[in-house]
Amino acid sequence: MQLFWLSFGFGLVTASVLAVSAVGLSLQFGITNYINFAYGDFMALGAYITFVFNNEVLHWNIWLAIVLAAIVVGLFAVVIQRVILSPFARRFDKTFYVLIVTFGLSLILLNVIYSIWGATVRFYSVPINRALHIGPMLLTAYQLIVMAIAVVLMLGVHVLLKTTRLGKSMRAMSDNTTLAMTSGIDTKRITTITWFLSGMLAGLAGAVLGLTEGNLTPASGELFLFVIFAAVIVGGVGSIYGAMAGAVLIGLATEVSAAFINPAYKLDVAFVILILTLLFRPSGLFARSGKG
Amino acid sequence: MSVNDVTTNEVANAALSCEGIVKSFQGVVAVNGASFSVPEGQITALIGPNGAGKTTVVNILSGSMKSDGGTEHIGSTDVSNWESYQIARMGLMRTFQLSRELGGLTVLENLLVAPKTQSGESLFNIFFRPGKTKREEHANTQRALDVLQTYGLYALRDNRARELSGGQKKLLEISRAVMAEPKILLLDEPMAGVNPALIEKIGGYILDLKAKGVTILMVEHNLNVVEKICDHVIVLAEGRTLATGRLSELRENKEVVRAYLGEVIDASSAR
Amino acid sequence: MTQVFYYVFTLIFFLFDYFILAMGLNIQYGETGILNFAYIGFVAIGAYVTGAVSLPNSVGTGQHYILGLNMPFPFNLLIGGLTASAFAVLVALISLRRLRTDYLAMVLISLSLVLYDICNNFVPLFNGADGLYNVPAPLAGVLHLTTNSFIPVIALVTGVIAMFLWWVMSRITQSPLGRTFRAIRDDETVAAALGKNVFRKQLTSMLIGSFYAGIGGGLIIQFGGSFNPSAWLPGETFVVFAVIIVGGVGNNVGLLMGSLLVETLLVHLPAFLPAIPGHPGLIEYIDAMLIGVLLMVMLWFRPQGVVPERVRKSTVIDKLLLNSNGASAVGESLHDEEATSVSQ
Repeated sequence: MQLFWLSFGFGLVTASVLAVSAVGLSLQFGITNYINFAYGDFMALGAYITFVFNNEVLHWNIWLAIVLAAIVVGLFAVVIQRVILSPFARRFDKTFYVLIVTFGLSLILLNVIYSIWGATVRFYSVPINRALHIGPMLLTAYQLIVMAIAVVLMLGVHVLLKTTRLGKSMRAMSDNTTLAMTSGIDTKRITTITWFLSGMLAGLAGAVLGLTEGNLTPASGELFLFVIFAAVIVGGVGSIYGAMAGAVLIGLATEVSAAFINPAYKLDVAFVILILTLLFRPSGLFARSGKG
Repeated sequence: MSVNDVTTNEVANAALSCEGIVKSFQGVVAVNGASFSVPEGQITALIGPNGAGKTTVVNILSGSMKSDGGTEHIGSTDVSNWESYQIARMGLMRTFQLSRELGGLTVLENLLVAPKTQSGESLFNIFFRPGKTKREEHANTQRALDVLQTYGLYALRDNRARELSGGQKKLLEISRAVMAEPKILLLDEPMAGVNPALIEKIGGYILDLKAKGVTILMVEHNLNVVEKICDHVIVLAEGRTLATGRLSELRENKEVVRAYLGEVIDASSAR
Repeated sequence: MTQVFYYVFTLIFFLFDYFILAMGLNIQYGETGILNFAYIGFVAIGAYVTGAVSLPNSVGTGQHYILGLNMPFPFNLLIGGLTASAFAVLVALISLRRLRTDYLAMVLISLSLVLYDICNNFVPLFNGADGLYNVPAPLAGVLHLTTNSFIPVIALVTGVIAMFLWWVMSRITQSPLGRTFRAIRDDETVAAALGKNVFRKQLTSMLIGSFYAGIGGGLIIQFGGSFNPSAWLPGETFVVFAVIIVGGVGNNVGLLMGSLLVETLLVHLPAFLPAIPGHPGLIEYIDAMLIGVLLMVMLWFRPQGVVPERVRKSTVIDKLLLNSNGASAVGESLHDEEATSVSQ
């Protein structure tokens, strides 16, 4: 039981990182209607830019570094979307062209990261943190802060979508782009803002992933991407709240299972859940009838 | 069959019938209990105001879309919610409102895809029964070229289908369905967006098909066309069957006129 | 001199091997429209199984692996190909049903990662991260090959296999089955409305393509004698995509061109360049970026590839009908010509 609660705690941490990244991916997908296979590399980019601010020359506070990195990745995402992805999406009506382009982008970004920072494992410069007992769980202050950030961000996304004009426009676009356009919504502006936000979430998620895992490698984002996919599909593709719920489910399942099976396979648990979902509820566990 | 006995008796032989078809999209009801029979060997028009659910009904009847409820029969076979390809193999072919040509294939290839059972579609036959495959392919090619000749597409046989004009694509849709030798043909607005001369021509083709014994159900907006070539009319409104009968009878029906005919006349003159 | 000799035959080997891999992915993606982002996983299965069946029983070899049947060439290769096919059918049964292109791509790339994870971590299967090594060289015993003479022989053998597979693939793509594949690629709904069982045809396409993947993978382990997880990171799938998109989707000649341009010239030639001092791996990184850039540039400026898909003219279709009785369908004097030449 002790073990269960310990791993449950880690599960909440993973779920937090997962929720942030899965919501970012879902936002992109909802607005532009294609999956961004370079999303994992956006995350890695966030992690390494944080590393630059935090370590080498600047030695900035880790949280400040993360925020700055998130903004940089957000801007980067907008540029990529405007300059590369959007022209391809407009030119070819079959989705798979743009999917292949994002796949190619992922290859380029990964190797850019390798070229700049090399294959060696890197660490953030943060003081060693003593674990705190929270009920039966054992968590570091960083992990607690990450969880708090995730909760705040999810609430923020909720408020954004439900109460603001921007959020309403985003939802309208996600339901039907053409209709949104004809009803006077500036779809180009909404797309840009969405990609900025989702890029920020990716950058932030990448950095906190590095922080919670304790190290960073160039491929860590790509490996995490498929856990995000699992969360997104299990939650129902295109649904923001589904993505949150999927993230919690997958995050807990992977970490708790690691208490009972070889932790090397914990990510594969996510895949098993994904397959089961596909077999028995292909539209996702928490899906409204919406996209798809 | 108990509920519907009266109607099925009325229309001697129903080639295709449906009962209580229901379908909604994200909570919006598109079809709400549509029920009708399509008499064998005749041309039936499916008319109704925009948003009446005509295309959705065609999609459901042809299996391209699953319904949320209701039954469908081809002859006496219950085909409710069968897969599209299974319904096609029962002899029901359809065309699409917006032409969906197989763009990367040539016009001839578009037709050659259509025959239902081709031994050359099996990996085993390709390598172990090449003779049979080739004889069949030859016969199909002959027939396809004949069909193309009939529909005036012969000269375009080697063009990629995506290079055709809108009107030519409409003709390709019909000839591809004909190539499959359908018993029942669902035409979703076969004359939308084509010039009057071609409307005339397509009308002629449809009558020829009727003469060959094909049962036809067509979604059509143009009431002149309906008057000229259709034997029977089904009026759909708000996803329900509002009335059925001959167009002349329906013109007398106040409800139909109010719900539909007025609007469609406006709509067609606006076009 | 010997150095150059090795280079050349290594390049020839990879030219033909990636031609085989490209044909396999092309039937799935180029002909049927299945975006198989797990392709490299099927290549890996082919490689591992080919290696594991040709190795002796694992006891005493210092490696851990299943099978170990001492199976000779070419049966080992065949088993590798068939295993990849069987696995593909299993995957397709689960994932092809009612999944949109993008969901399918997500599921498949995840599968590729999971497969990687399992092969990398689960040592008893294929020796974990170390992978299989000391795999017996094919025909070495029979032909009394030395290390020197082995390379040209395997390059040649791969060439012969590639030519045979090319002939097989041409038969398939020219058949009504190939046409139905292309119909599904262009519009699944229409194909289904014409009575085609789309799911079953996609399954067939996965089966054929993955057999090619397995054979190509098997040849890789036969060529190098070893195979480990570093050889098949999920990104490798992208290289095969680059081959077929640069060369020309839907055209077998194009695939050979693509293999030459991407795999031979871009992937393997730079591997012979001396490393930049102080920057280990930098050449490979830049190389991978170039492949990504090349692919995007091609997709934008010449999406049909270097050698575009052919229009299948009615005269050509007719020419292929050997036992045509009576007059030719298109009114040209065509005789019963055997279409023996290996052609698109």
